[in-house]
Amino acid sequence: MLTEVHVPDDVAAAVRLLESGATPLGGGTSLMPLLNDYASPPTELVSLRRAGLAGIHLDGATVRIGAATTLGQVEHDPRLAILDPVVRSIASVPVRNLATVGGNLFAHQPHGDLAVALVALAARVTVVDGGTHELTVEEFVTDPRGLVTEVAFTQPADGSFKYLKAARRRFNSASIVTVAAVIGESAVRVALGGVGNQIIRAHAVEAALAGQPLTDETVPAAAEAGLSELAPVDDAYASAWYRTRVFPVHLRRALLGH
Amino acid sequence: MTVTIVNLKVNGVDQAFMARPGTTLLLALREQLGLTGAKRGCAQGACGSCTVLLDGAPVVSCLVPATTVDGADIATVEGLADGQQLSDVQQAFLDGFATQCGFCTPGMLMSAEALLARNPDPTADEVNEAISGNVCRCTGYAPIVSAILDAAERRRNRVEATH
Repeated sequence: MLTEVHVPDDVAAAVRLLESGATPLGGGTSLMPLLNDYASPPTELVSLRRAGLAGIHLDGATVRIGAATTLGQVEHDPRLAILDPVVRSIASVPVRNLATVGGNLFAHQPHGDLAVALVALAARVTVVDGGTHELTVEEFVTDPRGLVTEVAFTQPADGSFKYLKAARRRFNSASIVTVAAVIGESAVRVALGGVGNQIIRAHAVEAALAGQPLTDETVPAAAEAGLSELAPVDDAYASAWYRTRVFPVHLRRALLGH
Repeated sequence: MTVTIVNLKVNGVDQAFMARPGTTLLLALREQLGLTGAKRGCAQGACGSCTVLLDGAPVVSCLVPATTVDGADIATVEGLADGQQLSDVQQAFLDGFATQCGFCTPGMLMSAEALLARNPDPTADEVNEAISGNVCRCTGYAPIVSAILDAAERRRNRVEATH
């Protein structure tokens, strides 16, 4: 049951309310389904809708996205074309118009595909949690807490960002395997969703691909190396066994396109 | 617990109502404003039967605490028809037998309206994506997709005819 819903109009007021024990509300697409159950415990919410945290800013190759920006706003911003396949793989249109970028960092796997992409993009997150901190999204998602105000990343070189999500349906389904990668000339970063309780940074895959061209030989070999880092679980979408079997196929499709 | 006066513009009309913290936008529309077109299906954001337009964008209104959208512009299925004159999308649904039990229809119509406002000439695949959050257990979707494509064509033809 909701006992109070605060709608502060700046971050300082939001922080004060959160410090008093209230729960932050982004788009509500994860939290409100729990609270719509009449048996939910008494809960005080702080909506971030009017806290001045929405907006997309580009400065050269640097992209900064306010935490309360919706996935729908990301989808419809032509400057963020590289994230278009990412956000469109998440949920459905009327959910994306509520769900926020900051909230996605708190989504439990096998949800949170934008966070997977942000790990691959080496994105950083600004968090207010007893002071303002900046840390990598990769670190943050291992134990998400505090008030996220912004994520930032550097746009990768054209064509270097790869993303593919395998799901039971083409639209509006949770991940079976999500692959996000930046294949640079000097560095390779690969992040995986759907194959563990946490987002996985696929170090073994990266090591196998470092300095290598992407070919029908190198990518399957990298997938083979990456199997040891998967920690898939059974859920209503797929079994752990299936996720393991699908991973090499979808890594190949993500990186080679076939 | 604070009860808040919320102001909304709903289908072009200014409305005000009292909302408890737990009053969702859906609950306010249905029980306080008497607009029962949007339906409470799953209350989880999964079925889309509560879809309305919030400042022009389709949202699942069951997940929106009403007090967080004070001042917003809301469009519901009740605002589509002009008196007895159905909107293009409504008429195309009627003509194409795109509704059976009707429970999903208000949400489908609002998702379709939002799509056509953004994209007047969508492909079938774009329609599929636009209604991917709206569950229908009767029709098998094909008549709905056809009706939305038909509505788009009617609307384009009318726009051309007026030029």
